[in-house]
Amino acid sequence: MKIRTMKYMVKEGFINTQRNLLMSLASVSMVIASLLIFGLFLMLIINFSYNLNRLKAQMEIVVFLEPDVTQLEADSIELKIKNDERVLAYVKKTKEQAYAELLQIYLEDAEILEGLSPDFLSPSFTVHLKNVDDSAAFTEEISKLQGVEDVSYPYESLKKLSTVLNWINAGSMVVLTLLLVISVSIIANTIKLTVYARRREIEIMKYVGASDWFIRWPFIIEGVIIGFAGALTSFILTSYLYNSLESYVNSHTLEYGISDLIKLVPLGNVSGQIFIIYAIIGMVMGSVGSVISVRKHLNV
Amino acid sequence: MIEFRNVTKLYPNGCIGLQNATFKIEKGEFVFIVGPSGSGKSTLLKLMLREEVPTEGEVYVNEFSIHDMPRREVPYLRRGLGIVFQDFRLLPNKTVYENVAFAMQIVEAQPKDIRRQVPVALALVGLSKKAKVYPNQLSGGEQQRVALARAIVNNPSVLLADEPTGNLDPETSWEIMNLLDEINQRGTTVVVATHEKSIVDQMKKRVFNIERGIIVRDVQEGNYSNED
Repeated sequence: MKIRTMKYMVKEGFINTQRNLLMSLASVSMVIASLLIFGLFLMLIINFSYNLNRLKAQMEIVVFLEPDVTQLEADSIELKIKNDERVLAYVKKTKEQAYAELLQIYLEDAEILEGLSPDFLSPSFTVHLKNVDDSAAFTEEISKLQGVEDVSYPYESLKKLSTVLNWINAGSMVVLTLLLVISVSIIANTIKLTVYARRREIEIMKYVGASDWFIRWPFIIEGVIIGFAGALTSFILTSYLYNSLESYVNSHTLEYGISDLIKLVPLGNVSGQIFIIYAIIGMVMGSVGSVISVRKHLNV
Repeated sequence: MIEFRNVTKLYPNGCIGLQNATFKIEKGEFVFIVGPSGSGKSTLLKLMLREEVPTEGEVYVNEFSIHDMPRREVPYLRRGLGIVFQDFRLLPNKTVYENVAFAMQIVEAQPKDIRRQVPVALALVGLSKKAKVYPNQLSGGEQQRVALARAIVNNPSVLLADEPTGNLDPETSWEIMNLLDEINQRGTTVVVATHEKSIVDQMKKRVFNIERGIIVRDVQEGNYSNED
């Protein structure tokens, strides 16, 4: 396509959008509504997986040895952990250290610990892995070793969280599809009005020998303008709402002292991606809508 | 060059548009197609510009075979044709100049060619002075001349006119027919569907008579009918 022709198409697209300003605005608001609802789900997913990953990274695996473990067994377990390539770092805790810790904790109610000697306690290794995804396999292997009493790893609860995340993912996909279909049909109707207003022009163009794409482009551009306007507006709205939410949540988690546990993704980290996703969805909705509405009028 | 070989056109509602038509129109000819309303004049023209596809038979226009032509080639067929309608079909929000230039813009002509060709076409139809006027400020005859200018501005080898004088008074009709004749003198093949008996009789061109979809008569330098 020639640059001159492209200029013509873009100009016509803008003229079309203005011609049905009211309907264009209606379509834009539909795009905004769809994207905002979609954005709600998107932010939910982003934050959920962000926190899940943070939780996973904080998870430590604690390997408790049997209280009467032999020195040889303990050494061989330590060696095994030390040489495992998946292990990032580990801390060894002897019976005595464990006992000292307990003493610290129950400093004021020392009578609770009466009769308890370090011999009743298990030595343990606290392990951090390089990759959280290896946790299950690592836990499995270590727990089989001679002298290991128990390996604590909050595997089940992580699994449940992952399932919830998957459900939210699936749900948002369904909602998004539904909204897309509705928005596309509303955009298609808007553009149908322009097509109707210009049907004589289209007819003449067909008789003079304009190609289908030549006729189609201005309408596609009209759809893209509508989609992009909607995407931009909903991006601004989403950013604003999310910012307020972020400061609200952050101040309250601080207040309750759980700011380490729950953290919202800072907007700056994801705003670029969100904008691109919005823009793509908006513009695809717009152009699909136009192609649908022009199709019928091309058969002259 | 236009050729029909045993062409039949049946419409989905059962109407017969054209029955077993066979003829040849050579380059540079001027042909009148006459007959009562609904006899098939428009069908004949629609088949030539591939607004309709023949039910049976073969249609050739320029280098295109209309009967087995993919849709995407239709624009290229039409770029070699000029088309004029009874109701002019001008764009009301464009000036005379813009209406004619539009035909060149949409086939992506060079701007310098547009600036050169449009005034030539307007001069040929005698509307140079009205270039900046909008169609609703023109008389019917003038509007049809604009439509003619638009039809010829891309230098088509064939000009198809469907009742071009149907909305015009006799005097203006003559102007339009004379213009068509002039365009024909310059080498363009012209096919005109019309009811204008007196004009057909006086111009002494080739005449097709169509009745109920059948070409019943094809004479050189003919009259509107056989009666005289």
